[in-house]
Amino acid sequence: MREMDSALDLQKELPEGRVLAVRGLTKDFTMHLVDGRVAHALKGVDLEVEQGEHVALAGPSGAGKSTLLRCVYRTYLTTSGAIGLRTSTGAVVDLATMPDWDVAMLRGREIGYVSQFLRAEPRRPVIEIVARAGIARGMERGEALDAAAVALRRVGIDEALWPVHATVLSGGQKQRVNIAAGTISPPRLLLLDEPVSALDPVNRVSVLDLIAGLREQGVAVLSVFHDLEAIEMLATRVVVVEGGRVAADGDPHEVLRANHGLAVAR
Amino acid sequence: MSLTLHERAQYAGAPLASPAPAPAWTLSVRGLGKIYGDTSEESIAGTGPEFGTAVSPNTGAIVAAWGVDLDVAPGEALGVIGESGSGKSTVLRCIAGDEPATAGEMLFTDHGGSTERLDQLSPTERRRMRISDISVVYQDPALGLTMDVSAGGNVADPLTAAGWRNFGRIRSRATELLQRTEVPIARMDHPVKAFSGGMKQRVQIAKSLANDPSLLLLDEPTTGLDASVAAGVLDLMRGLLEETNVAAIVVSHDFSVIEMLTTRVIVMQHGRVVEAGLTDQLLEDPQHPYSQQLVAAARG
Amino acid sequence: MTTLSAELTERSVEQLAGDAAPRDIFDELSKRAVRRALLTAIAVPGYQVPFSSREMPVARGWGSGGLQATLALIGADDNVKVIDQGEDAGVNATNLRRLIVGNAGCGEETETGLADVIQSRHRIPEEPLKDGQTLVLQVPVPEPLRGVVGSMDEQRRMHAEGDYAKMWVRLYEDIVRNGVVSHSADYPCLVNGRYVIAPSPIPRFDVPKLNDSEALVVLSAGREKRIYAIPPHTRVEPLTFEDVPFTVEHTEGAACVFCGSDDTYLIGVPEEDGTTRWVCSDTDWCSRHRPDDDTETETEGEVSR
Repeated sequence: MREMDSALDLQKELPEGRVLAVRGLTKDFTMHLVDGRVAHALKGVDLEVEQGEHVALAGPSGAGKSTLLRCVYRTYLTTSGAIGLRTSTGAVVDLATMPDWDVAMLRGREIGYVSQFLRAEPRRPVIEIVARAGIARGMERGEALDAAAVALRRVGIDEALWPVHATVLSGGQKQRVNIAAGTISPPRLLLLDEPVSALDPVNRVSVLDLIAGLREQGVAVLSVFHDLEAIEMLATRVVVVEGGRVAADGDPHEVLRANHGLAVAR
Repeated sequence: MSLTLHERAQYAGAPLASPAPAPAWTLSVRGLGKIYGDTSEESIAGTGPEFGTAVSPNTGAIVAAWGVDLDVAPGEALGVIGESGSGKSTVLRCIAGDEPATAGEMLFTDHGGSTERLDQLSPTERRRMRISDISVVYQDPALGLTMDVSAGGNVADPLTAAGWRNFGRIRSRATELLQRTEVPIARMDHPVKAFSGGMKQRVQIAKSLANDPSLLLLDEPTTGLDASVAAGVLDLMRGLLEETNVAAIVVSHDFSVIEMLTTRVIVMQHGRVVEAGLTDQLLEDPQHPYSQQLVAAARG
Repeated sequence: MTTLSAELTERSVEQLAGDAAPRDIFDELSKRAVRRALLTAIAVPGYQVPFSSREMPVARGWGSGGLQATLALIGADDNVKVIDQGEDAGVNATNLRRLIVGNAGCGEETETGLADVIQSRHRIPEEPLKDGQTLVLQVPVPEPLRGVVGSMDEQRRMHAEGDYAKMWVRLYEDIVRNGVVSHSADYPCLVNGRYVIAPSPIPRFDVPKLNDSEALVVLSAGREKRIYAIPPHTRVEPLTFEDVPFTVEHTEGAACVFCGSDDTYLIGVPEEDGTTRWVCSDTDWCSRHRPDDDTETETEGEVSR
């Protein structure tokens, strides 16, 4: 029943120009190994992201920000509610309930996810990791290699490191390779989960610049940053999550001013 | 969770549009079962995860697998994970045709789009499919290779079986495949029994790719190898799976193998599928108590 | 007319040969069983038919299979020729001939063209066989897949499914290791496009004679209890890669020191001075083709001693 209801709603919830519409999202974790204890991480979240918009999630640690991102990416299974996505072909789908295989197909071209960690990769040259991400999003190999070179330069990865296996890179370098791979031929919806946490100030700025540039390409971004500075620089809107619910949603400056305890709460 | 054809049909009829056309599965398995011993209905009751056993209390038969559904599409790798005795290797052997299934349907579609019901083929026809359409890489290289034959000769085997009769062409194809799987060409004429475990697996992989199969079955392909050797073999397989349009099923008890190679996974316990999902979802948000236990154990 | 010495010589030869060959070594029912197996073998060219191989007064592995096939086929009006490695006068060939003649009451013959049944160990005569003749080859190992796979079940499965990939792999390995296919004898052949056979340890030189043969070829293995056949005018192809042609033994410049032939199967006899003397393996053919022999009309008048 739930799926049918949300399915009928979602078409209306996603007019053209809107990429993501989250409705009534709840997420419970049932821990069978801890006497079946249930943790209620999200308790009914509504949220939307328009094309070219950068929505930053803010709120205290443990509020459910990362959980929300992972539900959208389907790394977490949604307990109830709907996650509507309007794809580049104009189709409206519910990420919460659609079959695994279809979600797998949407990943890459339609939805990207960049976390602070580099995914387990085979021992493969840095440039190859970034180029393959482009190929996965439909680029020709030559085009992808060119774009990978541009992306790696932008995030300040020295050309000497391009043929090196990513396994030997430092944490900060891995994170930059990760962001380069995540933003090459960017997906329609990009989920960023603290992508600059391990970076030194100089590299941090160049990566933030790169992310800021995504807006011009019409990418819808939903992000979690641990520092207000990044949010202020990038976000067009801020959604404050507290206790698994949306506590505030609006213009970054107004929301952050009204919730000035946020940064401290971390 | 895994969807049945019925569910997929419902999904297709729902008001939401599917982003991609329903895939032409390379392999679609429904209700696969394998019982050792009394194969009557009586053997089923009292077995499975809720009873904590695969041994029938009624007949003493071993219900090694029952009611297994799975699909795998071209260019995709599906993982099958579970402890030893969970039935995962049984499922693989039934798909490979190494042993007949007791129940179930297996619909196989090759690169060219022609479709066969594997469960209805004769043993002879199944062996013929194994030459060009379905390849297996076994944990034990002795099952997949002839030990006193050279690396090149082992790769030549499926080629000659497929009707190759030109020595020069067989040789260059074997060279190409061994190069691709990073076996030193200087050793291609050495008997594989002299090779290290990792190198044997590389030869097995080269052999499995000889006739461009539509379906590749990997049974614990790195188990028993030293960690660094296993990592190299995994790197190789990941690259090959990405570069070819082969559909792969990877059976392993090792999450790092499943994580590296697959996009979707099913979890088996006591012969039943207890959970199915995207691989990262299964690792990050396992639903079934047994899956949670497996993940917790893997995460140490 | 016979002199005493001639009489003595004749008697001592008889004594040397021992008692007369035992009679009735093969009962009619057993012959019929062999003929039934043979009919199957002819109907399914190259297929190894099991038969109830009997005890023969020769050791298994010494032509007991060939003997049973010959006795089952031959009649009193027929002539039998028996050769061992191309030679009619070998001890084994002589004994087998005596057994056959003694039991079948048939005639004996050394001239290939006049024999109805030719039992042979490891050669096919040089003289082309004709319609109506039968060549019985003694087979030690009938299974061409022995040494390729160990399990007899697996060997049978491979024959049943025509799955000879492992045999091809063996040829591949042979070329890789030796540069050539090193099978010098018993070269695996595909019969009628279906079954791979071991043609018994005949040299490669004789293999082409099996193809489209005028005569029926029967291959019989007494120890292994298998019988198979190549009916007249059957396709027999030695297994070979397209780009590695099948070749027969040939030594440039070699010719038989007796008859001068250079197009027969020749045996090299090492001499003390390090050179090799070449002689025909087929002794009967050789004796009929010697320049000084009366039977060879073509060379009449060209005698030079």
